[in-house]
Amino acid sequence: MTELRQLDETLWEIPASDRPDMRVPARVFADPELLDAIRTDRSLEQLQNVATLPGVIGAALAMPDIHQGYGFPVGGLAATEPPDGVVSPGGVGYDINCGVRLLATAITADELGDRKETLVHEIARLVPAGAGREAAVKLNGTELDRVLRGGPAALLELRGIGTDDDVEHTESGGRLDGADPDTVSPRARQRGSGQLGTVGSGNHFVELQRVARVLDEPCAQSYGLEPDAVTVLIHSGSRGLGHQVCTDYVKRMDANVARHGIELPDRQLACAPLSAPESQDYLGAMAAAANFAWANRAAIAHSVRKAIRTVLGTEAAASTRQVYDVAHNVAKLEPYGGRELCVHRKGATRAFPPGHDEIPPDYREAGQPVFIPGSMGTSSFVLAGRQGSMQRSFGSTCHGAGRRMSRTGARKRVQGAELRRQLEADGITVRCSSNRGLAEEAPFAYKDVESVVEIVERAGLARRVAQLRPIGVVKG
Amino acid sequence: MYRWVEHTGELELELEARSERGLFQEALAALGGLLSERAGDEGADASSVLHQVSASAPDRATLLAEWLSELAYLAESAGFVPDRVERLEVSGNALDATVVGHRASLPHLVKAVTYHRLGMWDEDETWRARVILDV
Repeated sequence: MTELRQLDETLWEIPASDRPDMRVPARVFADPELLDAIRTDRSLEQLQNVATLPGVIGAALAMPDIHQGYGFPVGGLAATEPPDGVVSPGGVGYDINCGVRLLATAITADELGDRKETLVHEIARLVPAGAGREAAVKLNGTELDRVLRGGPAALLELRGIGTDDDVEHTESGGRLDGADPDTVSPRARQRGSGQLGTVGSGNHFVELQRVARVLDEPCAQSYGLEPDAVTVLIHSGSRGLGHQVCTDYVKRMDANVARHGIELPDRQLACAPLSAPESQDYLGAMAAAANFAWANRAAIAHSVRKAIRTVLGTEAAASTRQVYDVAHNVAKLEPYGGRELCVHRKGATRAFPPGHDEIPPDYREAGQPVFIPGSMGTSSFVLAGRQGSMQRSFGSTCHGAGRRMSRTGARKRVQGAELRRQLEADGITVRCSSNRGLAEEAPFAYKDVESVVEIVERAGLARRVAQLRPIGVVKG
Repeated sequence: MYRWVEHTGELELELEARSERGLFQEALAALGGLLSERAGDEGADASSVLHQVSASAPDRATLLAEWLSELAYLAESAGFVPDRVERLEVSGNALDATVVGHRASLPHLVKAVTYHRLGMWDEDETWRARVILDV
């Protein structure tokens, strides 16, 4: 078993000397109990593999929700330095810009009352999730190009979906520069064209919640989160378009990795120097897919507002505002220590501290909002980025609770129908077309989100602002 | 013969056959079985559908991944569940095939076929392979 050295209360390290091919240490934010869970799969070995990438700076890092992935572990992040440092599509993942958007309504859970069930059912009716559901928004080729370049701002111009305020309160304004639709393959475009405005399946969802606890009142006020307010959390990504972009570029880079003189411990880490043509093409395609994902969440939010209008009225829909939207699978060029680095976040969330100029002006004093979804039936958390993230984790924090059990394992422990009854008994209205899919996402299949969040707070990466409890969930 | 091994976030497919060609047939059977388990009734159609599938790769293991990738794409884009191979030509590191199956209402289950721990090898006169799918 790999020995970890404890560096401080929340940080553990495998030194670079542990393997001859490691260029930097591998470090994980955790406590002893989370480490025990982390050791049960291959995630630490995968983190060590990340530490072998050419041009990797500082350390290969992992958040406390780390679990085994392919190439990078999920919950992993690494920064590389151009021009010879590499970009690796596996360091972003197949679901490019999988992320989370939080909406806050102006009504409380008490005021919602017994209209909750009707609202959840209306959201399920309007937001396509699961098998065979068609796109909420259909785009032709030219329109798709505009969305790939411009993200939700383009969707607002084209179809009146979303608001300027939504765009302003989205990470990177919902748009990565340099998006190039010409680097997105026809197959990727075909896979994405029928999926805009759809949630997907697996651990993606639309969740109705209430603000159960405010833990940092000034921050919560900045974010517009009132006690007992009804909120809606949307978890989705770039759908088939992003999946295909990653597939295309893993294939292309894998075919060229030897030509760059790179040896890798795992083919899924296929990469190329940032200066190489295939890397520039990947960054263009990845940015396009990221913009598509932000547009996807904008389209889903539009459907949620329509549901609110139908059930609660026009004023309720108009006063439903977007708190923020964060990506947790993306690679971005960001400045650290006077250098521009390519920060790969695969299951990690940007968490910029107070004063950072990329944060919307109304949040700049509080710090960037971060959303950590719990597993189904458990709490989610709103955090605020802290200065420690810039010093310790390339401006990053965790993204969720992290799986700790396989889907089969979860299905063996609980039947979907029984889980549905348990959730309903806990006051959570469930709309999910598949009992099998429901069982696979059972709360016990995930790490304890409260433990994960506590670690990132103790590590100084982010601070808890509010706890959100689920009152309804829509899944594919 | 095939076997699915589940990990925390992925599906590992282990294949065995008497020949390399057999591995491709087993891979189709495995994916067809997986999709059939998940298929819904809405829009299902038992009548046979044929698809032509072509792929090429730098080596046979990657060709196997590409084969599965093409079949997964047909599942997502056309609701196609593969039942059997009617014609399979594997030459060098390329293949051309006619696949028979049926339509069903399918979740978008397979995001991608990865290169993680991808392998194909001959052991004790049995061909074996391992492919990991992101689901």
